[in-house]
Amino acid sequence: MFECKPIFNSLLRSKAGAMMLLVQIAITVAIVSNASFIIYDRVQYLKQETGYPEESIFSFSITSFVEDFDQLQQIEIDESVLRGIPGVINAVNLSEIPLSGSGSASSIHTAPPPDTGRGVRAAYVLGDENSVDTLGVKIIAGRNFNQEDVVIQRSPDQVATVAIASKSFVEEMFPDGDGLGNTVFMGPYPVQIIGVVEKMMGPWLKDRKADNFIIFPMVVESTFQKMLVRTEPSERASVMKQVEALMLENNGDRVVSNVIGMDDDKALYNAGDMLMLRMLLVLIVVLVLITALGIYGLTMFNISKRTKQIGTRRALGARKSAIVRYFLIENSMVCSAGLLIGIVGAIYLGDALLKAYSLPALDIMYVVVTAIVVFCISVLSVIIPANRAANISPSIATRSV
Amino acid sequence: MLSMKNINKVYQTEKVQTHALRDFDLEVSEGEFIAVTGPSGSGKTTFLNIAGMLESYSSGDYLLDDINVGKLSDNAKADLRNQKIGFIFQGFNLIPDLNLYENVEVPLRYRGIKSAQRKQRIMDCLEQVGLASRAKHLPQQLSGGQQQRVAIARALAGKPRFLLADEPTGNLDSLMARQVMDLLEQINRDGATIIMVTHDPELARRAPRNIQVVDGQLADFTLYQGAPDMHVSSHAAAQV
Repeated sequence: MFECKPIFNSLLRSKAGAMMLLVQIAITVAIVSNASFIIYDRVQYLKQETGYPEESIFSFSITSFVEDFDQLQQIEIDESVLRGIPGVINAVNLSEIPLSGSGSASSIHTAPPPDTGRGVRAAYVLGDENSVDTLGVKIIAGRNFNQEDVVIQRSPDQVATVAIASKSFVEEMFPDGDGLGNTVFMGPYPVQIIGVVEKMMGPWLKDRKADNFIIFPMVVESTFQKMLVRTEPSERASVMKQVEALMLENNGDRVVSNVIGMDDDKALYNAGDMLMLRMLLVLIVVLVLITALGIYGLTMFNISKRTKQIGTRRALGARKSAIVRYFLIENSMVCSAGLLIGIVGAIYLGDALLKAYSLPALDIMYVVVTAIVVFCISVLSVIIPANRAANISPSIATRSV
Repeated sequence: MLSMKNINKVYQTEKVQTHALRDFDLEVSEGEFIAVTGPSGSGKTTFLNIAGMLESYSSGDYLLDDINVGKLSDNAKADLRNQKIGFIFQGFNLIPDLNLYENVEVPLRYRGIKSAQRKQRIMDCLEQVGLASRAKHLPQQLSGGQQQRVAIARALAGKPRFLLADEPTGNLDSLMARQVMDLLEQINRDGATIIMVTHDPELARRAPRNIQVVDGQLADFTLYQGAPDMHVSSHAAAQV
């Protein structure tokens, strides 16, 4: 009843159209499964927890064009002005803004040079005792900075002796779990870890060690300062609008710029990924659409080419359902061959992408699901033409067409 | 065996009504060999299509082996065609992508006959038309006459009680036409009832019974008992 063998033989005897479709299906599976996996991977990346209440935080930069004033005192004034704005929870001067794509990193060691011991790379930021609270992160072990911990750096050898680090860094640095209270070395300078934060990401989300992050309690003089402010979530927009005027009010010899929410700053950093995501989505839709149209078109062409044959089959006793089944089986055979080649192609492509662009290894489930979806789409694309074929009158067999 | 009473077939287009068959009456008994002649457009093929349940009729009664065809569903008609009727077409209508064996196999598959049984029957039928040795050939590798013999084998494969032939020799030269006609006569002698539409007066004369269709009606009815006669040739000659 299923005519598999004659359909298969018939396909082998006239393979041009079927081959084209087969290649198209194979390419679609190979590309769509990899593209879907990349999309999934990027979405996971974009959705990842950073540890910060991003929608409550914003930052801005201050550039002074007058140098003969007490910059450290100005920082104190600025912070207190910011804290006085209704809706502001806390504000801090930070050397770098997390998630912004701009920052500092260093190798931290278990011993001073020359015998440095174990080394772990981490990004770091300098800020006063308000840093942890303004960032909105949670200390899970140890304590926060106090005023005595903060080093106001007036010469290069004045450095912090304590630090608060992310759990991820502490666990990597001290795999035995004895990180809290232990001492690490930043070059020759010993630093004791006094607090561990559950989660806080550094400036570069794409970094393999993005959540290795350390806060040193230090304030450094500079004509270019960055401020971070945490507000009530609903108040952020209005505080952001006031901030420039308020800053200039207490010192007009400077420029306030780059007032931006932490989420927007992160989005800016990830703009390339978002663009890629959208392009991959368009690629998937276009490829699947072309394949569906290809199957539809080829089946329609086959039907118009075989009108008399279909009429003859009906005359010889084929029910309408047998005609529909014929086209479904024919399509399934071509599609299955295409899917098999496509699955192998997808795995090879995934492997090539892994090697060339350091993408994560392709999850085989994506290939399987893509193959199933493409198969379903191919069946849907063939049903309308197949039904049309089934409605061809058997009397066409006696006509001269 | 086949009974048509007051069969009418009207083709309706936007503005024109065409009567392809009018009050068409015909009784066919088991084992008959009937040649149907008539001018082009007279309704011969429409009659054959209705007899073979390839198209429906507008009014009247058609009984095939006492089954009222007008009341059958599309599926029931397909099954009945498959079981009782073998078709031979002017253009052979073999499926080009299937070899001879697979072509003869088509109606047997629709009947759901098992593979081993199918094989025996297909080879018997190909043997009967003298083409068993070429079972693996494709239709386009054969001459027209050979292709029509394959089509006859296909029609015979289901062991039909009726054979409907639409200009079976129309695309063949006279020698091949004669061979095909010999084959049809043999099949008729073996018990099948044959209705053959033809333009060829010589072939028509070889059928024991001739009927003429003119303007959708049975215009003339002559029973030949083997003796050649030119009774129907005036119509046939007019359209050659």
